[in-house]
Amino acid sequence: MEPKDEEIMKQQREIEKEVCDSTPLVSEKISLSCLRTEYMGDDVFSAKIQDLLKKYKFIRRTRPDGNCFFRAFAYSYLEYLITNYTAYQEFRKLAESSKDKLVELGFPRFTLEDFHETFMEVIKRVDPDCTGAEGSEKLQNELHQIFNEQGYSDYVVVYLRLITSGKLQEEAEFYQNFIEGSFTIEEFRHQEVEPMYKESDHIHIIALCTAIGAGVRVEYLDRGEGSTVKAHDFPEGSEPKVYLIYRPGHYDILYPN
Amino acid sequence: MAGSALRRLMAEYKQLTLDPPEGIVAGPISEDNFFEWEALIAGPEGTCFEGGVFPARLVFPPDYPLSPPKMKFICDMFHPNIFADGRVCISILHAPGDDPMGYELSAERWSPVQSVEKILLSVVSMLAEPNDESGANVDAAIMWRERREEFNQIARRLVRKTLGLPT
Repeated sequence: MEPKDEEIMKQQREIEKEVCDSTPLVSEKISLSCLRTEYMGDDVFSAKIQDLLKKYKFIRRTRPDGNCFFRAFAYSYLEYLITNYTAYQEFRKLAESSKDKLVELGFPRFTLEDFHETFMEVIKRVDPDCTGAEGSEKLQNELHQIFNEQGYSDYVVVYLRLITSGKLQEEAEFYQNFIEGSFTIEEFRHQEVEPMYKESDHIHIIALCTAIGAGVRVEYLDRGEGSTVKAHDFPEGSEPKVYLIYRPGHYDILYPN
Repeated sequence: MAGSALRRLMAEYKQLTLDPPEGIVAGPISEDNFFEWEALIAGPEGTCFEGGVFPARLVFPPDYPLSPPKMKFICDMFHPNIFADGRVCISILHAPGDDPMGYELSAERWSPVQSVEKILLSVVSMLAEPNDESGANVDAAIMWRERREEFNQIARRLVRKTLGLPT
């Protein structure tokens, strides 16, 4: 590679990093109509945003650091769980037992424990049973604060990546079919799933949703044909608890009407 | 605090002290700063580095273990996967995408479940079996491939040097 190209790439990375660092890890709820201004003059996107506005009112942005799917999913799913005690308890049980399962699958216990502990701490801090009279608003604030504290927020992302990786290994034969190129499932897990900042694809979403048993609907705002936004439910046929919007390269959280 | 690099580094230090892998000693240079470690690595038996004790520094980033540490030998080294200034160049010290040497797909990479112990064990394997495909030191790579006896002689001289013996 020419040194000149390298210089340009370096600058590009610096700009990306600046944009990234100036975005909060998870933003406040913002009116979805803000997308209109963002894509003003873009006919394809404008029509699709109009369509999206019929179904959704708010968006919550996540930092575009390659972890956005995992961070958005975790935030949105916990937001659902704090209003649904039965589902919360079930999830907490699943999370508690997930460590032993991952150890059985071959993850090193010593380093895994560090992430699991923090993951459980986050879940316990938003226990709907411990809030008393102030109720869900207090939990909501707690959740928002936790997810904007890098230490907690990133550890939640790491742990979800490990759960995803574990699922891929557990059902390697099935997931192998989704992998493009010459990757084995083992290589894919170590290269594309476990490391931070690696972007998520369908396969990550399917594996995580299946492992956790949570339905996710993704609305695709892209240059595909038509003036409506296409939605996809993961796993197929499930009832969505988490709503995300995908724009090429990035996931944010959506709030249905 | 949660997600703390310091907490993790303290835990790893404790683990390495209680249950040290053979031929490896590692820990913070000073208890005031857990982000800079020194490691002593014994040259693997049955190789040209046998008998040597090689000191190295590890520097951890603030977001460790999300990102890997950097590692550098602080003694003279001559090895295909070690730069002239001592920097160690193996795949586990790099996250995927951060790929200065074009490692193979199957090469082990950094991820948050790796550890200092895993890195040091990889370095021991690297000393025993250089990877001449990704040459951080091209001269060493060529010599290792084509003039093995000469390479072994240099290695043995380095071993004596780390022990403070006349070379």
